Amino acid sequence: MLRYILKRLLIMLVTLWIIVTLTFVLMVSIPGSPFNSERATNEAVQANLEAHYNLDEPYHIQYMLYLKSIVTFDFGPSIKQPNQTVNDLLGRGFPVSFELGMVSIIFAVISGIVLGILAALKHNGMIDYLAMTFAVLGISIPNFVLATMLIQQLAVNVEIFPVATWDSPAHMILPVIALGTTPMAIIARLTRSTMLEVLTQDYIKMARAKGLSPWKIIVKHALRNALMPVVTIMGTLLAGILTGTFVIEEIFAIPGMGQYFVESINQRDYPVIMGTTVFYSAFLIVMLFLVDIAYGILDPRIKMNSKGGD
Amino acid sequence: MKKLLASLLLVLMVMVLAACTTGSDAGQEEPADDNEAEATENGSNESDGTEEASGENVLYLNNGEEPTSFNPPIGFDEVSWLPLNQLMEGLTRLGEDHTPQPAMAEEWEVSDDGTVYTFHLREDANWSNGDPVTAQDFVFAWEQLLNPETGSPAAFLGYFIKGGEAYNSGEGSAEDLGLTAVDEKTFEVELESPTGFFLHVVTNPAFFPINHQVAEENPEWHAEAESFVANGPFLLESWAHDSEMVFAKNPEYWDADAVSLDKIHWAMVNDTNTQYQMFETGELDIGAIPPELSDQLIDGENVTIDPLGGLEFYRFNVTEEPFQNKKIRQAFALAINQGDIAEYVVKNGVEPAYGFVSPGFISPSGEDFREVNGDLVGFDAEQAQQLLQEGMEEEGYDELPPITLSYNTADLNKSIAETMQSMLSENLGVEVTLENTEWNVFLEDQKNLQHQFSRSSFLFDYADPVNFLESFTTESSMNRTGWSNEEYDQLIADIKAETNEEARWELMYEAEKLLAEEMPILPLRYYNQVFIQQEGVSGVLRHPVGYADFKHAEKQ
Repeated sequence: MLRYILKRLLIMLVTLWIIVTLTFVLMVSIPGSPFNSERATNEAVQANLEAHYNLDEPYHIQYMLYLKSIVTFDFGPSIKQPNQTVNDLLGRGFPVSFELGMVSIIFAVISGIVLGILAALKHNGMIDYLAMTFAVLGISIPNFVLATMLIQQLAVNVEIFPVATWDSPAHMILPVIALGTTPMAIIARLTRSTMLEVLTQDYIKMARAKGLSPWKIIVKHALRNALMPVVTIMGTLLAGILTGTFVIEEIFAIPGMGQYFVESINQRDYPVIMGTTVFYSAFLIVMLFLVDIAYGILDPRIKMNSKGGD
Repeated sequence: MKKLLASLLLVLMVMVLAACTTGSDAGQEEPADDNEAEATENGSNESDGTEEASGENVLYLNNGEEPTSFNPPIGFDEVSWLPLNQLMEGLTRLGEDHTPQPAMAEEWEVSDDGTVYTFHLREDANWSNGDPVTAQDFVFAWEQLLNPETGSPAAFLGYFIKGGEAYNSGEGSAEDLGLTAVDEKTFEVELESPTGFFLHVVTNPAFFPINHQVAEENPEWHAEAESFVANGPFLLESWAHDSEMVFAKNPEYWDADAVSLDKIHWAMVNDTNTQYQMFETGELDIGAIPPELSDQLIDGENVTIDPLGGLEFYRFNVTEEPFQNKKIRQAFALAINQGDIAEYVVKNGVEPAYGFVSPGFISPSGEDFREVNGDLVGFDAEQAQQLLQEGMEEEGYDELPPITLSYNTADLNKSIAETMQSMLSENLGVEVTLENTEWNVFLEDQKNLQHQFSRSSFLFDYADPVNFLESFTTESSMNRTGWSNEEYDQLIADIKAETNEEARWELMYEAEKLLAEEMPILPLRYYNQVFIQQEGVSGVLRHPVGYADFKHAEKQ
């Protein structure tokens, strides 16, 4: 078990290093510069600025400096917002994005599972059809379309919720629905189909024969097995939520990390590009690792010391 | 082991939940803080008396995104300088007629040769912390603007000052700059050459003073609301980075009686549709119109349309075939119907450009530059075909070399490019290929003359036609066409040296005509600024050149 974890940690570090290196290569290979502007900048000034951000160094030195900044977790100041360090931006944006992402995933998991169970229990009934229609819609409507629709219907036409910004719990509801609906629909469909499969198993019949209450059968025997595929796709869903926050944050004017991630590339703000990429990938890698561990705990058949699952 | 891991996961979950709850708590605290601040503000504003009973007068605006920097020489963009223009004030401030009016400077004298300006600062000009605004504050700020270490993108605006360009290029020194604090309230500026529009130049936020005592103690004074010192109509009450700013009326401002708003609240909403929806629900007092709704809303009574000095145009690369030929350039210009592009593609009430310098620049004799020089480019398909024929004969072409039209990726640019493509095909029988790249790449290619026929835009920095005209000298880094014309270079040099304003304007008329004759660029349309505002909002001042001013804004 310990060996497995150590091995995974090592793989995580290598993965991160590959991401960092690829990002660096891509970053320096796109044309343009952070100091590119419509207006003429004096050559002396340009040179000063480049020296200040070490952009006048050869690429391998710049690369080493970046690796150093990652190890010390100090990315220096942003080029475009010189009063802010990258750490300031991450420290400010990440808690907001994290909050949005986590609330959305909790919303998606809970409502997805409930919807899936209901649909499976009332198989081919009214509730099943309703739930699955809802799920198909949820999967096929992109989150930005849903977001715009939600704002127009629930904030503009009927003024129940605020349109945008991130001030109070009421401000969270629409973005969480917009971001969580697709994963919720995926989870609901998955839960339903595995639940249907599990419910026909012999041990469920056995439990019924023993006279256990229907709820006990579902929660204790059926659900635990039905949840395995859900846990499996949690990693993918997390990645989806993470990238989904970029769009949702933009639409709802939420001061999260997504804006830096996107704008830093347009502005060639190198320290911010590196900082956000490293941070996001490290976060995602750790989350996937936790998902794998959880998987092992829920399913004793998965042996941790064998070759690591995905 | 399994139990241990399970409990670890549990702890993680709890932490997640805890993060959520602290997050929303933090959110709830803010309104409470606001109320407190409002209460104290009300208390201190007793002298205003009667109107206060109905509560605070707060104008809700959207800044789009976080200002780059509130350090005057650094924040060279609309998102920084528009709000900064409410917080600070230069020697002069643009008035209702868009001309510079006394501001921090109460009066000034100009030497006979037009190169030395002596500004007398107001006795009652103070910073929001109570310090007096002194000549030293201006010297400090302007030195910082030109200091090559600052790396200010706006430094070129300071090249009018004697020794400015040399210092900024790392060749001169700060001592050699023509800036002198004669005494606490007298500020003397020596210029390289007489610059008739210098009083307009100094309304620009790059020339705002900086409280040197505060800045020497804390170089990051501008980064947070707590340390920010203002000298304008408003002060920076709070600034939650990336989410909102609150400006409050500045009681230390010399003209505070003229300010009717108690506060300005700035949201930072980047998405055009979202900000319009916030306008619809009354969360914003002034909003922008999303392009899809333009047709529906543009004629409404609550829409304000003001001109904005600038030009959207296309550059010909005269170093590439076939645009080395003047007649072919002219043919292309005549084949484009600017009127249709303005009316049906750009919409939003913009004016087509039949010249280069946008309307609104008034000569010393009181005439508009544009009206004097009239239409220099038009739409004439027949003449275009004839010119193309002649041009092709001159160059010995049987058919035109392939032409690629480039633009930076954006919806509107794409629509315009496609329209031009079909106009060229229809009116000239020329097929052009379209190509688009992301802004930074596009700009780099354009500067390196790697485009053949590419989109450009220009917005004026100061209110004088030469700001635009000088872009096309051989030396200028704004040229980006490869076009070089001795006569034109000489004209611009003469314009800069001319001390007689009337004569200077005559030279500028001549320069624009020469540009139209040579046609290294093809004008498309002038810019404007369109906003939609709630009923009861008035007094917002939008200048063709310069940043909007909310000093006199009112909300009922």
